[in-house]
Amino acid sequence: MHYRVIHKTEYDYCESVGLSYNEARLLPRFTANQSCQAASLTIDPPPTDYSEREDFFGNRVAFFSIREPHQRFIVTATSEVQIASQFGQLDFSQGTDWENVRLSLRQQRDPQTLDALQYVLDSPFVAANAELATYAQPSFPHGRPLLEAVHDLMGRIHGDFTYDPHFTTLATPLAAVLEHRRGVCQDFAHLAIGCLRSQGLAARYVSGYIETLPPPGKEKLVGSDASHAWFSVFIPELGWMDFDPTNNQIPVDQHIIVGWGRDYGDVTPLKGVIFGGGEHELAVSVDVRNLGD
Amino acid sequence: MERSCLVFPGLNSFRVCMTSVFSESQQNNPDPWYPTSLDSYDEMLDGDGQIRPQWEYVIRALRTLGIPELERRGAKAAILLRENGVTYNVYGDPAGQSRPWQLDPVPLLVSSEEWGGIEAGLQERAELLNMILADIYGPRELIRKGMLPLELLYNHGGFLRACDQIALRGKHQLVVYAADLARGPDNRMWVLSDRTQAPSGAGYALENRVAMTRVLPSLFRDSHVHRLALFFQSLRAGLNTIAPPGAENPRVVVLTPGPLNETFFEHAYLASYLGYPLVQGDDLTVRDGYLWLKSLNGLERVDVILRRVDDDFCDPLELRDDSRLGVPGLVEVVRRGNVSIANPLGSGVLENPGLLAFLPGIAEHFLGRPLRLPTAATWWCGQPKELDYVLTNLDKLVIKPIYRNPSLRPVFGHLLSQQELADWRDRIRSSPTFYVGQEQEGFSTVPSLVPGGLEPRHAVLRSFLVARADGYVVMPGGLTRSAPHKDEMLVSNQAGSISKDTWVLASEPERPIELVIKPTAEQVAASQSGALPSRAADNLFWVGRYAERAEGTIRLLRSAIKKLHGDPDRSGNEYTESLHSLLRAVTQLTGTRPGFLAEDAETLLSEPEAELLSVALDETRIGSLANTLRCMVQTGYAVRDLWSSDTWRVMDDLEEHLLSAKRLVQPTLWQVQDVMDQLITSLSAFSGLVMESMTRGNGWLFLDTGRRLERSMLLLSLLRTTLVEQRRANVEILLIEALLDTSDNLICYRQHYRNNMELAAFLELLLLDENNPRSLAYQTARLQEHVGKLPREKSAARLSLEQRLALEVASTLRLAVLDELTRVSESRTRENLEQLLARLNFLLVALSDAVTAAYFRHESVPHSLTPLRTT
Repeated sequence: MHYRVIHKTEYDYCESVGLSYNEARLLPRFTANQSCQAASLTIDPPPTDYSEREDFFGNRVAFFSIREPHQRFIVTATSEVQIASQFGQLDFSQGTDWENVRLSLRQQRDPQTLDALQYVLDSPFVAANAELATYAQPSFPHGRPLLEAVHDLMGRIHGDFTYDPHFTTLATPLAAVLEHRRGVCQDFAHLAIGCLRSQGLAARYVSGYIETLPPPGKEKLVGSDASHAWFSVFIPELGWMDFDPTNNQIPVDQHIIVGWGRDYGDVTPLKGVIFGGGEHELAVSVDVRNLGD
Repeated sequence: MERSCLVFPGLNSFRVCMTSVFSESQQNNPDPWYPTSLDSYDEMLDGDGQIRPQWEYVIRALRTLGIPELERRGAKAAILLRENGVTYNVYGDPAGQSRPWQLDPVPLLVSSEEWGGIEAGLQERAELLNMILADIYGPRELIRKGMLPLELLYNHGGFLRACDQIALRGKHQLVVYAADLARGPDNRMWVLSDRTQAPSGAGYALENRVAMTRVLPSLFRDSHVHRLALFFQSLRAGLNTIAPPGAENPRVVVLTPGPLNETFFEHAYLASYLGYPLVQGDDLTVRDGYLWLKSLNGLERVDVILRRVDDDFCDPLELRDDSRLGVPGLVEVVRRGNVSIANPLGSGVLENPGLLAFLPGIAEHFLGRPLRLPTAATWWCGQPKELDYVLTNLDKLVIKPIYRNPSLRPVFGHLLSQQELADWRDRIRSSPTFYVGQEQEGFSTVPSLVPGGLEPRHAVLRSFLVARADGYVVMPGGLTRSAPHKDEMLVSNQAGSISKDTWVLASEPERPIELVIKPTAEQVAASQSGALPSRAADNLFWVGRYAERAEGTIRLLRSAIKKLHGDPDRSGNEYTESLHSLLRAVTQLTGTRPGFLAEDAETLLSEPEAELLSVALDETRIGSLANTLRCMVQTGYAVRDLWSSDTWRVMDDLEEHLLSAKRLVQPTLWQVQDVMDQLITSLSAFSGLVMESMTRGNGWLFLDTGRRLERSMLLLSLLRTTLVEQRRANVEILLIEALLDTSDNLICYRQHYRNNMELAAFLELLLLDENNPRSLAYQTARLQEHVGKLPREKSAARLSLEQRLALEVASTLRLAVLDELTRVSESRTRENLEQLLARLNFLLVALSDAVTAAYFRHESVPHSLTPLRTT
């Protein structure tokens, strides 16, 4: 599937900003079944310094600095991405049981497993704890294949939690999300990651987009008007496999990946330090066009 | 036998346990001079109670000196150190008090022969840590090969992912390194902990040495002690080595968190000793991929940072976004290789006690041999067998978190109750990768001076290394710190340890090396003109203003008190009226309203003592003398690196007088007068030193501009409150006399005009006489000169705003006609005088604002953008 994504972020300041330093993780990375044919940032006002690099997790990062005094700051990321459909029919009852996966994460020393091990560890936004383990527990009976367990966990989160954009903020701790059973895609992704880490499994946070206008006959997905987030689990025989708890589905070819990390903090789309500005307003719009196969 | 313990929390946390029986020691060792226990290794005495050879000479000399004399020398050292401003700030002290540095005059002695082994061991350890650091932020081969567990590294807060794959050119990533050493039961020196982030203490070691050579000069000279100066030359060489390519004469700065940091003294001291500008994060800015110092001459490129800010605070964009101590964009500049930092960002990752468990294997891997210097046996709980061992033996071990964290201090198993042990076992089991268990070792004692004699104290030696192109150089000596008490003992700077100089004894005399490194001509030029950070210029300007304000306040308070107590005729109306006028001037000048200017000030005016005391001593009252002096000292402290040692000594005197005034119980105006006399002497010494010994660079220019501005404004304020309104002739005579006294002009006036107190003559002398250094005309002439010399763009042909304002002030004053000024209107006011004074005041305020705007760039505080949540 071929998509064009236009992601526009706009900050309006009350006072003039004389200087800003920014870091954007808005350029989609390459993955096994996603190739990024073109991606660029349009920055207004134009930066005096701009450079791109790959970060610790292999995500594409743009660093830039604006010296021109401004009261409005707009970053528009335009990308064209080709996605090959993932996975055919999956048999959830197959595959290694979750306890053995947990064991092999600690015993295997091949590069891929070693790399996965870092996603078992706590991260700034997601630390495993007893409450998360308790919530996760029903999905993880003894001997259950990992794929089936995660699929079940995703379904439970989708069923138990209410999508509510007004309940949480960036600062809402995972414990509050768990207690009140409310949140947005970022919270659900964090929650699932926390549940998996509390079982000793490797899970990472994926930042990206989903198709805005669904194909005829299909329902519009939640989270399509802004950037979206889901999670990915390391399954030794399949590698990393994505799950979208907000929509209760396994992404096939409607999810465009920008980057991944331990949690939101590693893949924040746009960060900045500014001098001046006072109060500011923020508006984000995302448009994902399906350009066909 | 009693077990006593030595605890080192805070910066270097470890615990040492040993057995000691001081009660029995008297019997073991009948020498009352040094009653030591022989149960643990003593540095001075061997197992038979005999003095070890390297101690013989020194201890004989100290014995000859005698304890009382040694105590006197110790006290002298304390005074020297205090006068030099050697302090250690204690966190959590609301008054921001700094603690004087304590030095025990009995040094720790190490023979040259033994030192050779220690030195080689430290160099080897530094090389190994350097290789580990390079691997961690490079290929991470140690993890891939299983020699370092991934969890141990990735769970450590010091592992900065933003710094991955960044390396300094050259083979050394670990530029400066410090290790805490103590002698173990096997008579060998052990490494207790490694300092790789921003090791502190080298500056204190140097100050200790300077003090020791002053108080025990002949002993020092005859003992053939290795000198420290070479180490600091190596530090400079090492910093030059890491500079980015192309930087011929690299500009190095010392980055400090600021005056509130616990070791700020050392930051300022090192900056000044090494000849580098001392800067805070907001003195620096990132532009076009380079780092720049915001100096008076504009932006100047920075090549190397000697870093004393913890690495995660260095860049709010890529590291901690709540940091106010860093420079946004700094990591990117480092990444592009355009600035080098010592130690590199991320080097704190080596300060991980869990690493100790894997060092032997890594040493085999990289060096092909075990390390020479031993460390305490350590078990990292992230492995099942080790976890079991720690849980089983918890009551005998020290529990440490792998990452330094103020809320996680080391815990000593043997001090825990059964319940606490059980709680700790749960905690460790729930996150085993975060903890290590470590064996407790017993360590040696050193002779320490205590009231009345010498006693054994447990001590730790911090030694310092710096990487040069050809390898690590070890400071021959270091900072020894000993426990303040002999029982349960806390040894850390925060808890008040006592420091010692460390003497490595050469077998033959060393060629003396000048202790003070002579900076090159370029460095002097750089540090005195262009490189003056604008924040430093700002501070100097305000030191000038506060110093002058304090002096003016004292002079006026003294006149008021003199009038109150000292006037021979205190009955008449004229006396009362002139006194009240002076009292109102006190309130006006100090800005301590309402005070004597209140609507209903009658009672206050008739009983002014309490209010005068408050204006003098109440530090919490803005504008009071004590408050102004506090501001002056604090502002001066922030630019500690720019003062000569003599000037700093005067600052210290001011602080002392201030403290002694604070200690007065139910102070009287008489006592306050005494204190103020001392203060005036110190303030005059300060001005004298500034005039006589400060280079006439930009720094001086700003200080003196501040001083002249303030003196002018004080004079204007004084005249406006006292002489604009016409009073009876006799009252005016009394007032003029008092004002002449206040402005230190009485003698001068009498020489010119005898005792004929006349307003016109008075105004002539105080306002218009350009030859009188206390007149307004004199101040404005100086201001005009100064403002003309302030740095500005060479191309600017027109006068700057500051120049125009200074010119207008001086001209306005010169054009004033004396006869018109004294003219009185029908409403009994001198309207012309008031108009002139008001105009001048307006212009001076505008001038101060213009200087501030042009030179003291106060950018708004940076803050992070709120990112949008992903929904």
